[in-house]
Amino acid sequence: MMAEIAASRDAVAVDEAIHEIYRQLIEGNDPVSVPFRTMKDVFMWAACLGYRHGERRPLTGKRVTIFRWAQFTPQVDVPLLKALAIADSGDVNVLLSEDEILTIAEEYANAGIHELRAGVLDEYGQPLWNLVAMLGS
Amino acid sequence: MKLERITLENFRQYYGRQRLAFSTDSQQNVTVIHGVNGAGKTSLFLAINWCLYSGEGAANVGELISKEAISRVHNGEAARTTVELTFTHDGERYLVARRLEGVKQPDGSISVSGADDFTMMRTRWDGQAERVNNPVGTMNAILPSNVRTYFLFDGEKIDNFAKPEAGDEVRYAIYHVLKLEVLTRGQRHLEEAAAEYRRELKSASSGELRDLLERDEKARDDREQALTRKEELEREVESTRRQIADIDQRLREMQNARALQQQRERLERDIKQRQAEMDRLVGNIRETATSRFVLIGQPAIERALVILDGKRERGEIPSNIRQQFVHDLIDQMRCICGRPFELGSPEHQRLLALMNSSLPGSLEDDVLDTSAALRPFAERARTLRESLNRDMRQRIELLALIQALEEELDDVSRQLKGSPQEEISRLEKQRQEFRADIESYWLEQGNLDTRLDALSKEIAQLEKQIERAKKDKSRQHLLTRRANLAQRAADAIGEMYQVFADDMRQRIEAKTKEIFKSLIWKDSHFQDIYLGPDYKLEVIDRYGLPARPELSAGERQVLSLSFITAMSRISEEEAPLVMDTPFGRLSSHHRNSITEHLPELADQLVLFVTDEELRDQARQNLEPRIGAEYRLEFDRGTSYTEIVEVG
Repeated sequence: MMAEIAASRDAVAVDEAIHEIYRQLIEGNDPVSVPFRTMKDVFMWAACLGYRHGERRPLTGKRVTIFRWAQFTPQVDVPLLKALAIADSGDVNVLLSEDEILTIAEEYANAGIHELRAGVLDEYGQPLWNLVAMLGS
Repeated sequence: MKLERITLENFRQYYGRQRLAFSTDSQQNVTVIHGVNGAGKTSLFLAINWCLYSGEGAANVGELISKEAISRVHNGEAARTTVELTFTHDGERYLVARRLEGVKQPDGSISVSGADDFTMMRTRWDGQAERVNNPVGTMNAILPSNVRTYFLFDGEKIDNFAKPEAGDEVRYAIYHVLKLEVLTRGQRHLEEAAAEYRRELKSASSGELRDLLERDEKARDDREQALTRKEELEREVESTRRQIADIDQRLREMQNARALQQQRERLERDIKQRQAEMDRLVGNIRETATSRFVLIGQPAIERALVILDGKRERGEIPSNIRQQFVHDLIDQMRCICGRPFELGSPEHQRLLALMNSSLPGSLEDDVLDTSAALRPFAERARTLRESLNRDMRQRIELLALIQALEEELDDVSRQLKGSPQEEISRLEKQRQEFRADIESYWLEQGNLDTRLDALSKEIAQLEKQIERAKKDKSRQHLLTRRANLAQRAADAIGEMYQVFADDMRQRIEAKTKEIFKSLIWKDSHFQDIYLGPDYKLEVIDRYGLPARPELSAGERQVLSLSFITAMSRISEEEAPLVMDTPFGRLSSHHRNSITEHLPELADQLVLFVTDEELRDQARQNLEPRIGAEYRLEFDRGTSYTEIVEVG
């Protein structure tokens, strides 16, 4: 069974300056124009994109909490966050620090969110189909 | 403050350690220190000043160290001077010491590096001594540096207060000695606070609350109107739909239109069903696309697995064998196959190595669990991609199907509109009009929804701004109250200062008059002393005219002395009067008069005098009040001065 993580730092945060991007990606009722339903999904997407581009960007501005650790699913989200942390540090000992796992993910998300916005909202076409296109790329 | 004892070591011409005890008796409160010119009176006077306050009067600090002491050290060696003073103040005893050290240079001079060293100890009456941490501040609290010149003064400069231009000095003396600066400082601080509050108020009050409330009201009105219009449109849509339904009913009833109308109804049901399918499909695609970031995270997963597998290959993660299991095998001295093994055998060694190289228990669990959780992700990503591709293909097929059905629907409409039966054609045209109306209504509804969204956001934003502005407003009220309070308090202190200063001035005037009359010999000539609002000290003669221009130097000195002693009496400052050559410029008449009364005017009187200053009647006057008497004997052969107690 997966060892339980109760992060000592429970809040998942983003820079205040990019909070608006998260809002744009989730606020609305039409699934085609507003594909995401939760901040958590946007965060996971952004973190994975950040890693794929090899760019970690520390949070420097005012921090805004967007959701709590408990929203991460133990089957998919938590192992993926751990994979990001291990892949980033090259060391399994990173698993001993839940804060560090979260910090790594936040910093990748802080960089990846811009690619997500560019690919989903700024591209020509409907955001949902743009997102699907990103999965294929 | 009452001086008890001074000890000088290598201070100017006082070579070695020399000590002098001041009289502390309340009746015999005079200490007289005799010395001819050059014997060292001024040096001893300077020693008291330097010990208590450093700085002033010792421009070249190198000169403070005894030349004899300097001559007795070699080049490069240190020479030093120390002055210690013991005094009592407010029921406590203080020992202060100031020490200066310098290094002898090849030319015989002394190079002093750094400041002098000032130490203060406080001794309580129970004998306990403690070091005072802030000696300079404490000294200033006992006798402030800026008032000390009114208590420790040079007799030759004493007439300064009585000079015509001395208004500022008199005001300054009253201001400091009577601690009026406490009031002006309080007034200044409060005025600064009031100004600061006013500045804050200026930046806080932009008068925006009313503007925000107006904007909020307008936004709410606009939202209300939009909602009303939206409801109207919904009713219009409903009404138009009913009219379309009526037309459909009539077409169904008309023989030449019935088949086409029924075909249209089938097509519409079909399209509706397909659109519902499309909605479900889009929902699925959305779920898949937004939650399947696993596909994007695949490189991280693959990299993490490489690291985890590497650990396992190096034996740092014992695959599915847990640390506890290995530990149990070692305890039982049995192999995993059940066969017992010996201590130190290869099996035993292997298990020990496994134990030592493995990770701590909790991390090991985490590593194994993470590894196990990540491994199926690749397969999951593959099936996910397939599922998404399938859904997207189905969507394209469904889109094509719906488009075909809509084309059929258009075709039905065209046939009905082109019917040779005029009624059918008219009804279909009307139906088309109604359909267009509904689409217009939807368009307007869409616009209204966008506008309502924007208005809701604007109202939410305004609510926050209004809340902030309301807080600002209450802060403005608070700042206004504070500014007014600070200004009123400053004004009140200013008024108090005026009243207090006037009162002090009048009391000093009265006291100065009283003392002056007791000290001056030709009191009949001078009628009055006047200390006006301009703080000019005036002696009024018998003709009621200011007599200061015609005062002799001695009379001016008496006037100044009267003023100083009056201030010390009024201020109730517990301080000694230490006077260096106070009677040098006085006539014997003034001297006699002053020596008769001066001991009554101070708690402790220390006089540095020449023999000429204190003889005959003056000496006799002071005699009963002298509690200690010393002579400064300067040896021309050695150039030292020795303090010798008289009697």
